Amino acid sequence: MTAGGRRFDDVLEGDELGPVALFLSKDQVRAYARAVDHYFPRFTDDEGARREGLPGMITPGNMSMGLLTTLVDGWAGAGRLRRLGTTFRGLVLPDRTIRLCGAVTQKDDATRTAELDVWMESDEGERLVIGTATVTLD
Amino acid sequence: MALEFDRSILGEEFDRTEHDPVAADELIAFARALGEASPCYIEPGPALVGHPTYCIRFRGGKFFPDNLPEGLRQRMSFDAGKDIELGVPVRAGDRITVVSTLHDLYEKTGRSGSMFFVVVRFTMTNQRGELVAIVDNRMMYRGQE
Repeated sequence: MTAGGRRFDDVLEGDELGPVALFLSKDQVRAYARAVDHYFPRFTDDEGARREGLPGMITPGNMSMGLLTTLVDGWAGAGRLRRLGTTFRGLVLPDRTIRLCGAVTQKDDATRTAELDVWMESDEGERLVIGTATVTLD
Repeated sequence: MALEFDRSILGEEFDRTEHDPVAADELIAFARALGEASPCYIEPGPALVGHPTYCIRFRGGKFFPDNLPEGLRQRMSFDAGKDIELGVPVRAGDRITVVSTLHDLYEKTGRSGSMFFVVVRFTMTNQRGELVAIVDNRMMYRGQE
């Protein structure tokens, strides 16, 4: 699972991850809500979400974490993520383009790990989800 | 409103829930919903593992302890974020046990006034007793007007 990952010696502090632009469709959000058995109106239906006071259906925070993990996995290699911490700052509305971004903030020679800043931003550049992650490298 | 509570409730186990065995098609559906293409997450077989955030679909039988401070019990909370420490990956057939504790409770003052944060920790292990993940769920409550 961890073969073919990024090499520690090839990584420099300041290296960037992405950005990866992604059109997040309502159907993809519904598929996620179904997969985690959270098929609630706020995640599946605009009208139902508005009845809860939201502007329309929203993306689950957990799905945003999952999408950020795909960014980290794609950069470091599958199975390299050790820790992910996120703060949900704004509503992630589907049927829009989002960008997944990151940067290496620190390397640790002793543990061969790298600390990352990661974030999800709107097409307008607003950071909707921010976080940090730790990955193990070869 | 200052939040007063007995700090001895921090760290107390308030729920323990064992989930049904994980099915391979659930692992795959989860990964596909995230647009994953890595074979280890989407191809059936012995190498299949759960996507790293698959673990956060597991919850306890109740989300908050009964002894949550009175001032918070009746108020609506918002999911402010999560911290995940990953252990071994989830595999098909695993039975995941979630032990819930109230990990922290604190107040912050922002531009919109005071906010209270309740951190509920889920410690997840598999049927072999291996640590799968520690997930800290940070719930935010706005202070009363």
